[in-house]
Amino acid sequence: MSIEVRNITKRFGAFTAVDDVSLQVGGGELLALLGPSGSGKTTLLRMIAGLEFPDSGSILLNNEDATKHDAARRRVGFVFQHYALFRHMTIFENIAFGLRVRPRQHRLSKSDIRDKVMQLLALVQLEKHEKHFPNQLSGGQRQRIALARALAVEPTLLLLDEPFGALDAKVRKELRRWLRRLHDEIHIASVFVTHDQEEALEVADRVAVLNHGKLEQIGTPQEVYDNPANAFVYNFLGNVNLFHGRVDRGRVRISTMDSESQESTPVVDGSTLGYARPYEINISRESGGAATVHARLLHIYGVGPKVKLELQDIETEAMIEAEIERTQFVELELKQGDEVFVSPSNLRRFVEDYSI
Amino acid sequence: MITAPQTTRRKGSVRAGDAPWVKWPLIALALTFMLVVLVLPLASVFVEAFAKGWQVYLDSIRDPDALSAIRLTLTASGIALTMNLLFGLAAAWAISRFSFKGKNLLISLIDLPLAVSPVVAGLIFVLLFGLHGWFGTWLDDHNIQILFAVPGIVLATIFVTFPFVARELIPFMQAQGTEEEEAALVLGASPWRMFFSITLPNIRWSLLYGVILCSARAMGEFGAVSVVSGHIRGETNTLPLHVEILYNEYNFAAAFAVASLLSLVAVVTLAVKKIIEDKTGRRGEKA
Repeated sequence: MSIEVRNITKRFGAFTAVDDVSLQVGGGELLALLGPSGSGKTTLLRMIAGLEFPDSGSILLNNEDATKHDAARRRVGFVFQHYALFRHMTIFENIAFGLRVRPRQHRLSKSDIRDKVMQLLALVQLEKHEKHFPNQLSGGQRQRIALARALAVEPTLLLLDEPFGALDAKVRKELRRWLRRLHDEIHIASVFVTHDQEEALEVADRVAVLNHGKLEQIGTPQEVYDNPANAFVYNFLGNVNLFHGRVDRGRVRISTMDSESQESTPVVDGSTLGYARPYEINISRESGGAATVHARLLHIYGVGPKVKLELQDIETEAMIEAEIERTQFVELELKQGDEVFVSPSNLRRFVEDYSI
Repeated sequence: MITAPQTTRRKGSVRAGDAPWVKWPLIALALTFMLVVLVLPLASVFVEAFAKGWQVYLDSIRDPDALSAIRLTLTASGIALTMNLLFGLAAAWAISRFSFKGKNLLISLIDLPLAVSPVVAGLIFVLLFGLHGWFGTWLDDHNIQILFAVPGIVLATIFVTFPFVARELIPFMQAQGTEEEEAALVLGASPWRMFFSITLPNIRWSLLYGVILCSARAMGEFGAVSVVSGHIRGETNTLPLHVEILYNEYNFAAAFAVASLLSLVAVVTLAVKKIIEDKTGRRGEKA
């Protein structure tokens, strides 16, 4: 019940879709492949399923080298982004398909197939729809049928390609929680692809962040969120403010801020980038001297318990986004056009710089 | 700005074009034109065919030369249809599923027979297989008869009807994508099983549509076949050629009787085409 991917590379012409990626998925684990479009996450998933074959590297399924095995032989469950239900078959026939195409000696009897399909329909809570055709179902229902169909062949691995990508926000949220509960119930190693960091962080046991075909970081949601390996991961996992500045003889100068460099490794003089999330921006009415940036409040977005502020650094004219509690917002009596002092409570800098 | 489309739509119902004095003449014109150009000629075929009564009609069709022409037409179009069905499927599969060098060239080449005049198509085969053609001497040495024989007619028919199945399938299969087929493979289906259980049911209506068009064209082909056939009565005459011979002999009743068979094929084709369109149209709405 495991997947091991070793140094996999896949090119399409001159384009390298997956570049020397290695990762492991243990039994019963739910892994998210997270990345922007074109990052190679779907290609990686399709290679694990046997729908695409790597140019180099190997894939081990349940400790057996499956690199050259075709899709039918790998016995994985695959859920497609657009469901890929067989449109000319009923829901029942869709789920039964995987059972019916087995070689005769392994095939279940008719009544066993019926029991199995009904059991799966019960699992996805769509018993009443067995005689319907896919186009009579809603997107969320189709996705559940696609899942039931994938589970029918009792796969040892479940792969899902942007499973909630085509659904609206509310159904999406419901369905991903349901998937998490379902996964805890059936407990098979699963990999799902997503470009939605919220989804990945909420549902997965571990998250693998991909960019330009390379694996940037892999770890639990907590690990990647709290200790991003580089600027890309940091930037991809949430909203971010960028501070352009300079490093000069061990001191970091960003706008009007001036502080001691905190890196353990010596830093080369030159330009630098500091990153801070909107909720890591402190706002005060009083200047904190060399620790703060003088900014003007341009816009206030005040719906909900948190208030989003759009500020502009008066010195550099850079935009700063801040998110504060409503109570604090009221306390500060902020109005549009006010001049305030801003300081990031946690300014991160990464040694290797990314252009975002 | 936001209300603009709505206003246009409301105005649309009282558009000048909807005025009766514009609408009725247009409809009348279209119907008259259709009557004169399409319906009258078709009707005249059947009227002329039965002008001398049932007996003459049946005799004309039961004539050995006519029966041989029917057999040859069915044989040639049957073979052409089979070949082009296989080719059309293969080409559509290759073009919609793979990317390869020369793909665009292949797509353009498939349309070639539609652009080339049928007479030219016939001449191509004369140039290739005629006694003075490229392979003429070799064929003659080996006693293989292609021109002025059934193989030539079959080849010409294949050439002319080449694009129909492929052209019908390619856009349809491209639009449909491969996800369902991949799903079948992941579920453990063999490639054959995938083809017969998933691909074929999905493309069946476009495939049938292409087959209908292809067979109608194959049976009706005149120009290309005329060039390669040699017009040997009872041997290399197809139905359209037979009609021409009878007509040139002033045997009008018989010519129209045989022509009525071809017209019947056309009417049936049209009816089947309409049924398919209705069926696929309804499916499209639901999906």
